[in-house]
Amino acid sequence: MFRLLLQELRFRINGIIGWGLGLSFFPVVYVGMYPSFAEQMASFEELMDLAIYQAMGISMAGFEGFIASTVTNLVPVILCIYAVINGTGTLAGEEDDGRLELIVSLPIHRWQIVAVKTVALGIALFIILAIVGAGAALTMEMITISVETRVTSLDVFLSLLAAWPLAMAVGMISLFLGAFSPNRRIASAIATVVVLVSYLGSNLSGMISSLEKIEKLFLFHYYEATAQALEMGQQTYNMIALVVISLVAFGLALVFFQRRNITVGAWPWQRGVISK
Amino acid sequence: MTDYAIETQGLSLYYGRHRGILDVDLRVEKGDIFGFLGPNGAGKTTTQRVLMDIIRPTVGKAYIFGKDCQKEGVAIRERIGYLSGELSLYNNMRARQFFKMYFSLQKSNNDPGHWQKLADRLELDTSRKIREYSSGNKQKVGIVIAFMNKPDLLVLDEPTSGLDPLVKQTVMELVREANQASATVFFSSHILSEVQAVCNRVGIIREGQLVATERVEDLTTQHFRRIRFKFAKTPPGDAFTKDGVIETGRDEGGITLEVYTHLDRVMKKATSFGITDIETIPVSLEEIFLAYYGKGNGGNNV
Repeated sequence: MFRLLLQELRFRINGIIGWGLGLSFFPVVYVGMYPSFAEQMASFEELMDLAIYQAMGISMAGFEGFIASTVTNLVPVILCIYAVINGTGTLAGEEDDGRLELIVSLPIHRWQIVAVKTVALGIALFIILAIVGAGAALTMEMITISVETRVTSLDVFLSLLAAWPLAMAVGMISLFLGAFSPNRRIASAIATVVVLVSYLGSNLSGMISSLEKIEKLFLFHYYEATAQALEMGQQTYNMIALVVISLVAFGLALVFFQRRNITVGAWPWQRGVISK
Repeated sequence: MTDYAIETQGLSLYYGRHRGILDVDLRVEKGDIFGFLGPNGAGKTTTQRVLMDIIRPTVGKAYIFGKDCQKEGVAIRERIGYLSGELSLYNNMRARQFFKMYFSLQKSNNDPGHWQKLADRLELDTSRKIREYSSGNKQKVGIVIAFMNKPDLLVLDEPTSGLDPLVKQTVMELVREANQASATVFFSSHILSEVQAVCNRVGIIREGQLVATERVEDLTTQHFRRIRFKFAKTPPGDAFTKDGVIETGRDEGGITLEVYTHLDRVMKKATSFGITDIETIPVSLEEIFLAYYGKGNGGNNV
């Protein structure tokens, strides 16, 4: 198991470094530009709370609001793209390109394959967030003299790490869809829809009362990208909810992968029926 | 049950409503080199994937060394070397890295350096990335991973596909050597001369059903006999045109017949024309195969 895990991490190393550094650019730029941004926008406060910003979960008032709206709001969304690519690529992608047959023909239980790939995905997401968080925190250290705020570099670092349960939930849903759908293309399409609907639905539910009733269906409801969360951290029950969603998706992935006919590419209900 | 390396009982698999394999009862004895023959889509790869528990049968059971392929798949696969017919590799890895990785995942203590000996024998440069290999070299990688663990059973799907004649010969030598070292070999191939040269038993699968399982020499002698006669007086053109006999050649040197049934009647009739010489011409496995398939029909690409 450990050897397989090491191998899975080796396969992901370029992606982890690439996504970690690439995604770091985003908070580095936003955090670094804040002093000049604050200066220029001082006279346009009324623009800061436009409905379109609210729909995107953005509120630019103050440093905390700016960082929450840009860095801690958008980094998880972008990281979810990695989670979808990697989550669907892990089983469905490897099955599509034929490599999964190599692994399944080894003396390894199928549940072990799913478990190892899940752990590898979790580690990859964590390292990417740690790299991004470190980049943001270092930039924050450089501008801290010119910014008036209670938020520390450590707060920024931890607030980015706190996106891990959300990214993991998206990764696990994608992994499950990969074990359930006939191919990666379909799994990716469904997972992308889940992420987009969750993100927009979660933000819009604060503005549209009819959506409030179903807000708990949206994954992003369980992740707060607010100034308060930046200072105080995420709500424990939200984190637990995301962990539970991840575990349920993992369980479903196990069940469907266990029953899957590898290399066939069919929905679960398209299993063979005798028609003599 | 335990006397067989491979045993299947009523194995059927449907892809939705499409037939994969149907009611396959297969027995491969320990120590056999078993050739599994059939055209594209006949069900060879499907059968091999069921044995490896890559896909699950709709009904029926498959056993390897007496163990249920589904319930005890992990224990079984520790003893199997498998070459997929649709080999796909980790293209970003160097072959050397890939072999080390694959060996480490096989839970075996059998000769960790064996893969290098195999690669040397196949003249495979393991320092190169797999993506740089030609399709023939990628096939060599597949051969190495199948044999690297010195398995008790080799399941090989078209092992010589894409290889040049010299390498094909080396692969067949590897098959023989593995068999001499007590491994059972179960392999599919389209190259029937190759199967005839190495296998002691063959199974022929047609439209998902196993239509024959015989020792190679029995199959090539029992299915039909090709006999060439020379006569004192030339028989008329319709002398041997009866059910079960086909005249396939006639010239001044004599007449060639393919006799499927009633050899005694043919001999009696031939005697009446005064036989001056008689010769039995060996029948190749390929001819038997074509006879089963009516010149290549019988596949069903699902």
